[in-house]
Amino acid sequence: MKHQRIIALAWKEWREIIRDRLFFALAFIVPTMLMLLFGFGLTLDVENLPFAVVDHDRSAASRDYTYRFISSRYFDFKGQAGDERQLDTLLADNRIRLALVIPPRFGERLARGEAAPVQVLIDGTFPMRAQTTQGYVAAINSAVSLDNMAGALSAGRGIPLAEAQARVQPVKLEVRYLYNQSVKSIWSLAPKLIMLIMMLSPPFLTALGVVREKESGSIFNIYSSTVSPGEFLIGKLAPYVAISFTNGLILWALAVGLYGTPFKGDPAFFALALLLYVVCTTGLGLVISMLVQTQVAAMIVASIVSIIPAVLYSGMLLPLSSLAPGASAIAHALPPMYFTNIVVGSFLKGVGWQALWADMLVLTAYAVGLFGLGYLLFSKRPSA
Amino acid sequence: MNTPTSPAIRVEGFAKRYGKRLAADGLSLTVQQGEIYGLVGADGSGKSSLMKAVAGVLAFDAGTVEVFGTRVDSARSAERVKQRIGFLPQGLGLNLYPDLSIEENVDFFGRLRGVAAAELAERKRQLLEMTRLDAFRGRPMRQLSGGMKQKLGLVCTLIHEPDLVILDEPTTGVDPVSRRDFWAILGKLLEEKGITALVSTAYLDEADRFHRVSLFHEGKVMGEGTPAELVAQVPGTVALFRAEPQAEALLRLKAAFPQTEAMGPWLRVFAEGLDAAGARETVGNALTGILPTDWFAREPELEDVFVAMLRQRGAQLESAFSAGSHMPAGATDLAIEARGLTRIFGDFRAADAVSFTVPQGEIFGLLGANGAGKTTVIKMLTGILKPSSGEGRVAGADMRSAGRAIKERIGYMSQAFSLYHDLSVVENIRLYAGIYGLDERQARLRSDWVIGMAGLAGFENDAAGRLPMGLRQRLALGCALVHEPRVLFLDEPTSGVDPIGRRMFWDILFHLSRREGVAILVTTHYMSEAEHCDHLALMYAGRVVADASPEAMKAGIAAESGQLVELRVDHPVPAQAALRAAGFASATLHGRSVHLLSRDAATDLRRLPGLLAEAGITVHSADLRPLSMEDVFVHRITALEAADRRAS
Repeated sequence: MKHQRIIALAWKEWREIIRDRLFFALAFIVPTMLMLLFGFGLTLDVENLPFAVVDHDRSAASRDYTYRFISSRYFDFKGQAGDERQLDTLLADNRIRLALVIPPRFGERLARGEAAPVQVLIDGTFPMRAQTTQGYVAAINSAVSLDNMAGALSAGRGIPLAEAQARVQPVKLEVRYLYNQSVKSIWSLAPKLIMLIMMLSPPFLTALGVVREKESGSIFNIYSSTVSPGEFLIGKLAPYVAISFTNGLILWALAVGLYGTPFKGDPAFFALALLLYVVCTTGLGLVISMLVQTQVAAMIVASIVSIIPAVLYSGMLLPLSSLAPGASAIAHALPPMYFTNIVVGSFLKGVGWQALWADMLVLTAYAVGLFGLGYLLFSKRPSA
Repeated sequence: MNTPTSPAIRVEGFAKRYGKRLAADGLSLTVQQGEIYGLVGADGSGKSSLMKAVAGVLAFDAGTVEVFGTRVDSARSAERVKQRIGFLPQGLGLNLYPDLSIEENVDFFGRLRGVAAAELAERKRQLLEMTRLDAFRGRPMRQLSGGMKQKLGLVCTLIHEPDLVILDEPTTGVDPVSRRDFWAILGKLLEEKGITALVSTAYLDEADRFHRVSLFHEGKVMGEGTPAELVAQVPGTVALFRAEPQAEALLRLKAAFPQTEAMGPWLRVFAEGLDAAGARETVGNALTGILPTDWFAREPELEDVFVAMLRQRGAQLESAFSAGSHMPAGATDLAIEARGLTRIFGDFRAADAVSFTVPQGEIFGLLGANGAGKTTVIKMLTGILKPSSGEGRVAGADMRSAGRAIKERIGYMSQAFSLYHDLSVVENIRLYAGIYGLDERQARLRSDWVIGMAGLAGFENDAAGRLPMGLRQRLALGCALVHEPRVLFLDEPTSGVDPIGRRMFWDILFHLSRREGVAILVTTHYMSEAEHCDHLALMYAGRVVADASPEAMKAGIAAESGQLVELRVDHPVPAQAALRAAGFASATLHGRSVHLLSRDAATDLRRLPGLLAEAGITVHSADLRPLSMEDVFVHRITALEAADRRAS
């Protein structure tokens, strides 16, 4: 190993990345941009659902009922509609996601102690959002029913309202969400986005960086010189690892600063884990670059082998426990899952070495394995 | 250490296969230390595979390769000689880093090769000075001209002072002036440092730059030796004369002499095995009644010999055209007329008042370096680009306002042979027939015509991408001709094609022009091809600076600067220096010879050997040589460049 050669290679690579507009953007702009796009665009919270009401009753009771929805932070009241036909247009145009239709004599029936139906129309195009919406509606509706019942009980028996409420609902749930107290999806999403973006960007950069030398023919400068494969790989890849690691830190700062995600873990541990993960994903890019001959092929292969594991088999969108056994096995065979454990643990749970040493070990094995494979696949005297 | 007499490279029975394709088939050659050894052959003839194997960057299938006595047969053994080798892969400037400056490129190569800082600085200074790149040290490589990229590639290859340099087609895609400059620098450097060189080229006329050459064809070596030895392998005479009617004379001669070509209004015959008198008699007999005029007999050139060798091995040079000519009506009208064509991009005049005319039935050559404005002129004449001023008329119509009907009278074939590589030969022809709106019956007729004309019978259903270069080129020509255009534009049509393929191509062009009256405008920087044209226009910096027949251009140079003298000497580099000191600024290195222009050739031939003897140089022979188009080009352009430098 001659460090002079390694430095020469790394220096050359760095200048090329800085000066080539495409590479510059890929290296320094795309990761941050992805963080912003996904962070603001991929929120899974169901809040401020626009809705409208058709009130055929126009009684105090129907106004009360409607008001319960209007005052909820989950709903955004868009106004009264004249009739059901108007609702169709509003739903079809995506101006509302939900509509309540209160029938005539709604108040009258309640007063008489009869059951009063209310029709709820929910936009079902996104099943998950529709189900959540239905849950909110059911919760508000049952709260209204309980209040009505308690009111009737208190008035009928002459007991205080609080006691009547306790009678009506003897068991009361006290829920506390751990690690993410207000169940904000961005708190959970932002750390996982670091995992996702650090899975996409380094393989792309690395694979393109190596393959473009193959495509242009400048790789022959390496082949025909006495640089050893080890020196070449270290010198060539060091800038990519350094750039990606820096990007990881920038994403960490965005998660904490911009999205307000709490970071409860050990920064030094997290930095080490990030470095390990970046070495892993750079190694993935290296292996891809050894197997393909053109930049187009490198891009296609890199996007397949990085996006799918990072999105589907990492625990980003779905918890791993909900995967089928086969899918779970795949998830365990790929690095993103392990780094997801580390980011979630470091950000939200505040755990470190003790809880996550096994994940660190697996990432280390990956880093060594991928670089080993890249080293073996690299030949200075190929047969084509 | 090796003794100075042990060979630098020894190759025995070398074979290399890519999938099913055999790229090199039992090649053998030996390169002595200090030699400039040339591999000459077309694209795909196996040159690159051999060079990469010698450089230790390609594994091969059979044979032995030895470099400085070390067998290069594994990655490990290859490492042992790599520090002594400099390798420049094929592709102009492609192995350089476009975003780095000249200096940064050189520094990177130096550090990669472990050159110490002080030494690196000194060598860099020397090499950049010699290649006249030192004024542009900070300029990014992507902004360099072809000639500068080529020289920078050479500097980077030499920065670690290798004992052997391997240069794969360093002159391809570079204009003749830069090419000549490159050879001069290379020759000087190699001589000074005692470096051995293995250099490949696709230009046969560059063979005389080498001490010894191997002629490559389809993965085999056709012959090895000094250029003179190779030429001597197939004795004969080249006869150059006029005979009218030319087309008829050509047909009659072809029967007796397969190596007959039309060069503008001239006919050129290689009479194998005959001396000058014998050639005259046999040609006279073959012409049966047509009388040759303006007769010249010359020594054959390497290309004549190479083609003869290929014929001996079974290559066919038959013409697809038979007797019975008819010139269509109006055949002598003006086909192309450029009148003051000017195109300005920003403050850059890509074409500057370009004027010339091409009558029907003429082959017109547009010559010039890259960026001289050739392509801009073609684009304006085909109606792709609007001129800033002036006008281009094709078949009598102004191309700015020409309708489809006019455009359909034009055929165009580009450098890249715009074929669809995954479509078969017939599918390609049918596609172009469809584009030009031929009906089913016409399409079938023209398709048959193209296949017959281009010699594609038997290849009808092969994918175009898998055809050999020569066939692919003729298919592209066929596609450009499918709608029977009256005017044909060819943009650098013959790069990378072997000599047989080139001859067949020019044979077709000749027949198109003479028999069918098609006007043909060709751009090329293959100077040997310019000789086939009836008329030439030489472009420089957007202007036409010379407009004459090839003969007239040569005569102009001879009258202005003298005749070409070739001196074969024992030490060419000091000989060149001595001649320059004696006032022959035109003295250039050609392998073991020096060429110069002499105003008083008879006197100089007598006195120069004595003059060189005073400098301790022995002259083996001193002869007059015919001027080539390359000499004309280099002479004219160098003079213009010098004038530009004085002006600025």
